[in-house]
Amino acid sequence: MIFAAPWLLLALAALPLLWWLLRVTPPSPRLQSFPAIRLLAGLRADEHTASRTPWWLLALRLLAAGLVIIGLAGPVLDAAGALPGSGPLLLVIDDGWAAAADWTARMQAAGSVLDRAERTGRTAALLTTARTEADQAPQLSPAMAVPDLRTRLAALRPKAWAPDRVAATAALKGASAGAVAYVSDGASAAGDTAFGQALAALGPTTQMQPDPLPVRLARPPRAEAGRLVARVSALPQPAERPLAVLAQTGDGRTLARVDAVIPAGATAAEVPIPLPPELRNQLARLVLDGGAGAGSVVLLDERWRRRPVGLLAAQEGADTPLIGPLFYVRRALALTSELREGNLAALLSRELSVLVLADLPLEGEDAAALERWVEAGGLLVRFAGPRMAEASSDPSWHDPLLPVRLLAGDRQLGGALSWSQPAALARFPAASPFTGLDIPEEVLVTRQVLAEPSAQLAERSWALLADGTPLVTAAPRGAGRVVLFHVTANADWSNLPLSGLFVDMLRRLVDLSAGVAGAPEDTVLAPAEALDGFGVLGPPPPAARGLTAADLVTPVVSPRHPPGTYGPESGRRALNLGAALPELTAAAPVPGAALAPISGMARERALGPGLLAVAVGLLALDLLLSLWLRGLLRLRAATVSMLLLVAMPAWAEDVPALATRLAYVVTGDAQVDGVSRAGLLGLSAYVNRRTAASLADPSAIVPGQDDLSFYPLLYWPVTANATLSPTAITALNDYTSRGGIILIDTRDGGSGAGFAPGAEAALRRVAQGLAVPPLTPLSSDHVLARSFYLLQEFPGRFAGDTVWVQRDQDRSNDSVSPVIIGGHDWAAAWAVDGAGRNPYATIPGGTRQRTLAYRFGVNLVMYALTGNYKGDQVHVPAILERLGQ
Amino acid sequence: MPGNPASLPGQNARRAEPLGSRLPPLLVAAQRVAATVAQGVHGRRRVGQGDSFWQYRPHLPGDSQSRIDWRASGKSDRAFVRETEWEAAQSVFLWRDNSASMAWRSGTAVPEKRERADLLLLALGALLLRGGERVRLLGGPPRLRGGRAALDGLADALADLPKSGGMPEAAPVPRYSSVVLIGDFLSPLDEIRAVVAGLAALPVAGHLLQVLDPAEALLPYTGRVRFRGMKQELDAVVPRVEGIRNGYAEALAEQQRGLSALCSTAGWSFGVHRTDHPPEAALLGLFIAMSPA
Repeated sequence: MIFAAPWLLLALAALPLLWWLLRVTPPSPRLQSFPAIRLLAGLRADEHTASRTPWWLLALRLLAAGLVIIGLAGPVLDAAGALPGSGPLLLVIDDGWAAAADWTARMQAAGSVLDRAERTGRTAALLTTARTEADQAPQLSPAMAVPDLRTRLAALRPKAWAPDRVAATAALKGASAGAVAYVSDGASAAGDTAFGQALAALGPTTQMQPDPLPVRLARPPRAEAGRLVARVSALPQPAERPLAVLAQTGDGRTLARVDAVIPAGATAAEVPIPLPPELRNQLARLVLDGGAGAGSVVLLDERWRRRPVGLLAAQEGADTPLIGPLFYVRRALALTSELREGNLAALLSRELSVLVLADLPLEGEDAAALERWVEAGGLLVRFAGPRMAEASSDPSWHDPLLPVRLLAGDRQLGGALSWSQPAALARFPAASPFTGLDIPEEVLVTRQVLAEPSAQLAERSWALLADGTPLVTAAPRGAGRVVLFHVTANADWSNLPLSGLFVDMLRRLVDLSAGVAGAPEDTVLAPAEALDGFGVLGPPPPAARGLTAADLVTPVVSPRHPPGTYGPESGRRALNLGAALPELTAAAPVPGAALAPISGMARERALGPGLLAVAVGLLALDLLLSLWLRGLLRLRAATVSMLLLVAMPAWAEDVPALATRLAYVVTGDAQVDGVSRAGLLGLSAYVNRRTAASLADPSAIVPGQDDLSFYPLLYWPVTANATLSPTAITALNDYTSRGGIILIDTRDGGSGAGFAPGAEAALRRVAQGLAVPPLTPLSSDHVLARSFYLLQEFPGRFAGDTVWVQRDQDRSNDSVSPVIIGGHDWAAAWAVDGAGRNPYATIPGGTRQRTLAYRFGVNLVMYALTGNYKGDQVHVPAILERLGQ
Repeated sequence: MPGNPASLPGQNARRAEPLGSRLPPLLVAAQRVAATVAQGVHGRRRVGQGDSFWQYRPHLPGDSQSRIDWRASGKSDRAFVRETEWEAAQSVFLWRDNSASMAWRSGTAVPEKRERADLLLLALGALLLRGGERVRLLGGPPRLRGGRAALDGLADALADLPKSGGMPEAAPVPRYSSVVLIGDFLSPLDEIRAVVAGLAALPVAGHLLQVLDPAEALLPYTGRVRFRGMKQELDAVVPRVEGIRNGYAEALAEQQRGLSALCSTAGWSFGVHRTDHPPEAALLGLFIAMSPA
């Protein structure tokens, strides 16, 4: 600890004088009203002792005076040692993309270095290593007084591109410095070694960088069937690091959050993000949670979204309802993809992700053009049929765009003249993209073309019939792929196109394909939006220039081409930092430099203001005590009011019995519990706004530990690892037997199928001990559907699943169903974040769905609060009819 | 006994609420205190107002014929006139010091001196009215009142009493009536003597009751205290109160001796009451002093 103005401490010598003065000055007398004052006149005390200020009051005042003196002397805590050397200080700061994650700490470290320079009266110069937004090379500022430099430091922002250490080395030429402080980002860049040597040559160097280095870089994701795989690079570290990837839409809503871990020593991690195609098409960016900066954001453009699918059939009338070869394909893909039709030349003249050929043998020119297209990355999906079977009978026929060689003719299964039966599907092989899809039992194949047996046949088969013959085969061809369905695309050969499985299979195939971004290679794309150093999209900086689509193949990020989106509204292309940077490696330290961690550079803390505040507090106490000594302060009243003041917050505590409130069962998963809480908060606010019910903030409860009797409704999101202790089972059964309602949510129903794997099994497990009555689907004439709003459906975040309630009416509890079971993830639909927005998108989506979700919540609360009161409304028509008679 | 303010005649709405909140408990307390005293004094017989038979006397010339009691006359040949007992109700003038020094108490454990004085005055009034006397508040409305309903009027007048000095101002007190003065009587003896002597010269029988707070009697303060009077007196700073406690007790005793002396000179009685003592003792003393020997 040091003092800014040590000579002020001399005033401490005056304290004894103060002590003497206070001691000889008697305290003010107590004031006492007294009617018989006339009798006091003329009375003289027989002994007259001088009144003394009590010693403790004296000590208090001396302490306050001492604190004032010490506080004014300006003590400074945590003052680091003096900087080495003498002469001007050179402060070098890496302000490239990698510095953004801990920018505040860096600025604090730089500020603390400047503090130390200022104390010894040294001047300082500043050098930042990245090019400016105006694309100027790094320049060394002249040495100036520290306060002037602080304003420059305050204006510094991290840039969205890598530092240019070669130019920085050039800027150092001819500079001189007494000491160098280098706040480095730790990631290597071109010209590192020369830069380090240039710094070391200037003078004693202190290199400050965080330990461990938090640098992470989000790379462009990879599209796979049914999911998007985010890729993250990081500098290797000896410990594993948690990581979360947020998938966000253009308006900032987070559609998915996936947690992952970067293993110890690893430099990269892959994070699969499972999302239905409808949602995936809404994604605008992937963001690494918790790390600000341009490196944490990957912008997604049409390449990850738009999947144009071309449809081509041999004959006319391919669209004839129910029998046309493309009818079912069109129906399956129309919702999720952009479909195009025309002849082959027209189709291939534009960008295309997938081309579906229905029973069209290929020859000559067309085959060559298609082959080029497939090898450039296209996905060709072909269906067999009578023409292909016929063509394969010709021994000279050779179709280059088939994944396997076909045997001549086709094979008939079942029928009047055959012993065999139509074949069902076998389980999908593990390597198949269709793995995980449910196979309906009624899907049967009656005719197919057969593949010629070969060594590769097994690995090229993506779907097999029960007898082991392939149904779908695929083979890579260049950067693309060829897929063959061994049946027709209509219901002639099998009833596969009639089933939902067909839709799922086609969608997965489309997901496999590469997206396209349609713009000619040589068009100049103007910058539309650019990421700043903190990873926030904004208008592009003045130096930003357009680039061509060809430039995006091997992108370079610089002030001229900042990361962001380029091109017209209809065809935005994303330029990502992660696509432009090479593998991340740690930079070599500056030779001979003293290393210091950034976090260790605690900002100097001046104790003066704190001490003065304490002194003011003591003087206020002295005032109170003096008043009390003079009898002007009623001690008891003062104590009571102080106690009241202190006790006030205790009253504001949540007492469950004092207000009606909803409650949710704590699952132990912080994410789920957070959603439950936010959801019930949102629902409570909605109910308070719309109805006469007044709900307080929801409670989190653990059955068996908390008293459940105060809550009309429990919300219980069942997680895959949910378990119930015997006491919890007893508590919940007790709760429901006395009229409580539990809303059990598996969060995987309807459109959200697959979002919460294992929840159904968990529900089956935990419900074994619970007294769940016989259930029936919730219909629109149940009281729950009309207790406040008249509802036909009961969606939450998801929609389309059945909600189950008690089948039999139990008069003992007002006919209220003790459990309501569903999977619509209602809490996520109700959830409201701190800014009042709904953070979780509804699926399939729309304002209407959210409104209905809230309405279901209101009905639920009303049902819990009023029982079957509204049940009479069910009988209103009957009652009216009876009255009419 | 009527104690309900709603039944008071001539009560206006503005006064009704504070009175309703304050008077009934005071009246009830006064009645209770008076009841205990009335039981302690027996043998006082007063004639009812104009009802009691006194004597028959022969009708004399000049008597109105309407005064003949025909029932008594019918028993003989002579006409008789019925005469009732001559009423000789005494008029008692009550006074309570309403100066600022009375509105004081040393702590929450004791009542204010004015409050205790009110209680004593009303209790005495209740006793006197029960005995058939006429009672009036000095400084209050100028009408003597009798009967039990007068107690409400008395309490009413007491609540509306204007601020006064330490002693009653000159009032039209008839001769041979009684005066009861209740106050703290801490003002100089000469002022008190002037008033008492003036009343005694009428002549009027009188009673003085000094009501003191225990702190005024004992001076329990310690240390350095600045005393501030209630009537624009100068502050008195006492460096050490313990040192003057004996002197103060002496001064207070001197004042009380002086009061006692001037009362006995005028033929009046003098009593002292402390607010931490029960009011019944003081009331009994007053009542005995007022009873005819």
